[in-house]
Amino acid sequence: MPFRGKRSRKTTTINLLLGFIEPSSGSAFINQLNVHENIKATKRFLAYIPENLMLYPNLTAIENLDYFSGIAGKKLSKSQLVDFLEESGLQSDAFEKRISSFSKGMRQKVGIAIALAKDAKVLLLDEPTSGLDPKASNEFGLLLQKLRTKGVATLMATHDLFRAKEVATHIGIMNGGQLKQELVAADITLQELEKAYLNTMEYKELVL
Amino acid sequence: MLSYNFKYELKLLLRSRWIQLLSIVLLLLFSFSTYNGLQKVEKRKKDIADAHLEVKENDEMMLKLLDSVERGMQVSASRWTIPTQPMAVGNYHPRVAAMDPQPMTFIATGQGDLFTHYVKPKVSGDDFTLNFAEMTSPVQLLFGSFDLAFVIIYLLPLLIIAFSYNVLSAERESGSLRLLASQPIGIQTWVLQKLGLRFFWLSILVIFTLTLVFFIVGINPFSQVTLFFGLLALVITYMLFWFALTFLVNLWVGSSSKNAVVLLGLWVVFVLLVPSMLNQLGNTLYPMPSRTIMINEMRTLKAEVAERQDEILDNYLRDHPEYAINDSTQFRGFYHRYMASQKLVKEELSPLINAYEDQLKKQQSWVASFKWVSPSIIVQESLNQMAGTSTQDYESFRKQVIAFAGIWREHFLPFLYNNQDFSQNDYADLPKFQYEQKSFATFGVIPILFLISIGLFAVGFLFSNQTKKEGILASN
Repeated sequence: MPFRGKRSRKTTTINLLLGFIEPSSGSAFINQLNVHENIKATKRFLAYIPENLMLYPNLTAIENLDYFSGIAGKKLSKSQLVDFLEESGLQSDAFEKRISSFSKGMRQKVGIAIALAKDAKVLLLDEPTSGLDPKASNEFGLLLQKLRTKGVATLMATHDLFRAKEVATHIGIMNGGQLKQELVAADITLQELEKAYLNTMEYKELVL
Repeated sequence: MLSYNFKYELKLLLRSRWIQLLSIVLLLLFSFSTYNGLQKVEKRKKDIADAHLEVKENDEMMLKLLDSVERGMQVSASRWTIPTQPMAVGNYHPRVAAMDPQPMTFIATGQGDLFTHYVKPKVSGDDFTLNFAEMTSPVQLLFGSFDLAFVIIYLLPLLIIAFSYNVLSAERESGSLRLLASQPIGIQTWVLQKLGLRFFWLSILVIFTLTLVFFIVGINPFSQVTLFFGLLALVITYMLFWFALTFLVNLWVGSSSKNAVVLLGLWVVFVLLVPSMLNQLGNTLYPMPSRTIMINEMRTLKAEVAERQDEILDNYLRDHPEYAINDSTQFRGFYHRYMASQKLVKEELSPLINAYEDQLKKQQSWVASFKWVSPSIIVQESLNQMAGTSTQDYESFRKQVIAFAGIWREHFLPFLYNNQDFSQNDYADLPKFQYEQKSFATFGVIPILFLISIGLFAVGFLFSNQTKKEGILASN
C-alpha cells in the first residue's frame, strides 16, 4: 500500500501510526487498538524504518540488532541474531563490523532484521528506496515481497512509482493530507499509474 | 530494557573513550588537588612547629637568665625584660596557642586562608585585639585554592554536564531516536536508565580514583573510616543532584546546544551566583561593627580609666584582700594599676564585643537558613566541617584562645600583686594551651540532598508532558 505525493503529509501519517503525534481529529488504529490510547501496546506490533535509518555507529550490526530487540523485550541468542541478519540479506562479513562504515542499503537491511526479530505484524517504511542504487532497490523490493508472504502488512511511503507497482498490492495517492485515489496494483499498468499520479498533482495545482 | 542498556551503554562509553577520558581527568584533578591540600597542611604544621621551636629556644634563654639572676650574677638584659618579673614572663614569653590540623584537613582549605592557626596571647594584651586574621594575597582569596573541595564542588558538575547534557538530544540529532521511539518503551524511562548508568559509572570512577589517590599520596582512607565514607557519600549525593538536573534539562529543553547553555546557566546560578549573593546579602543586612571604631572606643576608655587608675587599683585590692595579706612590701607599680584597670576596660567594652558576636551569629544564621537554595553551599560547608576548617571550627579555636588568654593572665596575677618573683621552679607550672578538637562534621545533609535529587527525578517523570515528546519526535 504505497503512498506518495509531495507535501502529501505521508510522514505525518506514519507519525500518527507510531503515536509520535496526536491526531487533531479522528484516530489511528493498529490491530483494532487505538494508537493514541495504547502507545506501548501498538508499538509491539509494528516495526518502523525511517527514511534515513540511523543506528549506533559505534556498535556492530549484531550489537545494534541485539540492543534494539533487547530494549523491545526480545532476548535473542547469538545464532538467532545471525539468522535474522542473514534473512535480511546483509552480507555475512559485515555482521561484526561497526555501523559507521555501512551504506544506507546496509543499514536498512539491519533495520529489516530488527523488524524480523521483533516479529512485527506491521511494517512502516518512509521512503526506503530513495538513495539506493537500482540493485539495492531491487533486493529491497524482493525482501518486502518475502515479508508479504510471511503475513506482514507493509505501509510504504514513496515517490518510486516503479517500485510501488512492483511491490504493492494496493496503491493510494495522497496530497495535502488527503487520500485522493485508491488503486489495486494488479489492475493497472505503470503508465496508467503515472498518469493517475500526475493528474492528482495537477488537480491540486488547479485548486491552488 | 535495563540489562541491555547496561551492557551497551558500557560498550558505547568505552568505545567513545568517555570512561578512559573521565578516569584520567578525575585522576589528575584529584591527585593535584589532594597534593595541593597536603602542601597547605604541611605548611600549617611547619608554621606551628616553628612557633613552638621559637618558644622553646626563648624558654631556654629565659631559664638561663633566671638561673643567673638567682645565683646573684650580673645579667646583660634590659631591666624590664628580666624574667624574675612575672609580667616580663607573661609578655615576652607567651605560649603558642595553636590549632593543629585534623586528619582530613587537606580536603578543604575552608576558612583556613583567612585565619591564622596560632596566636601568642600576652598578659597585657586585650582579648579582642588578638588578631586572628591571616595575611593573605587578595588574588589567592579571589580565586580560592585548588583543593579537593574545589574539584568536587566546581569541576565535578562541569564534568557531569559535559558527560550527559545531550543524552536524548544526541539521539535526535543523529536520527536514532525515531527508531528507538518506535520500540515499545517509555522515552523518560529510557533517558532515566541511560543517565542512571552514567551516574553509576561516574560514581564508580570517582570512588575508585579517590581511593587510589589517597593511597598514592600516602593517606590511609580507612584510618578515618567514618569521614572517608561520609566524604564519598556526600560527593555521590552531590553528583546525583547534578544528574537529576541534567535529566530534567534533557527532557524539557531541546537541542544539544540549548541543553548545554541551560546546564551551564544552572551551574553558574548554583555554584557561583547563589553562594556569593547570600554572602553579600548577609554582609549588607548584618554588617560587622567596624574594628576601627571598636579600637577607638577602647582607647578612649583606656584614657578615661588611666585618670582613675589609683581608685581602680584600690577597689581591686578591696575585692582581693588575699593580695594585701601575703605581701609585706605593698609596692604598687605600673602593672598593678594596669592589670586592675584592664579588667574594668574589658567589662565596659563587653557590649561592643557582644554586638560583634551578635552580628556574626546573625550572619551565620542568615546563611544557614538560605543555604538550601544551593547544594554547593551545603556541600562546601560539610566538606569544611569534615576538614575541620569551617567557620565553627575557627570560632571554637578563637573562644579557646580567649579562654586560654584569661588563664594565662590569671596565672600571673598572684605573682604580680604578691610582688613575688618568678623563679625557675615556677616554670613547670606555666599554663599550656591544648587545642580541643571538636568535630562539627554532620552527615545529616546527605539524606536530605539525596531526597531533593530523587524529588527532581520524580518531577521530571511526572511533568515531562507528551507535547514535548511530540516536539522531539515529530521533526524529521
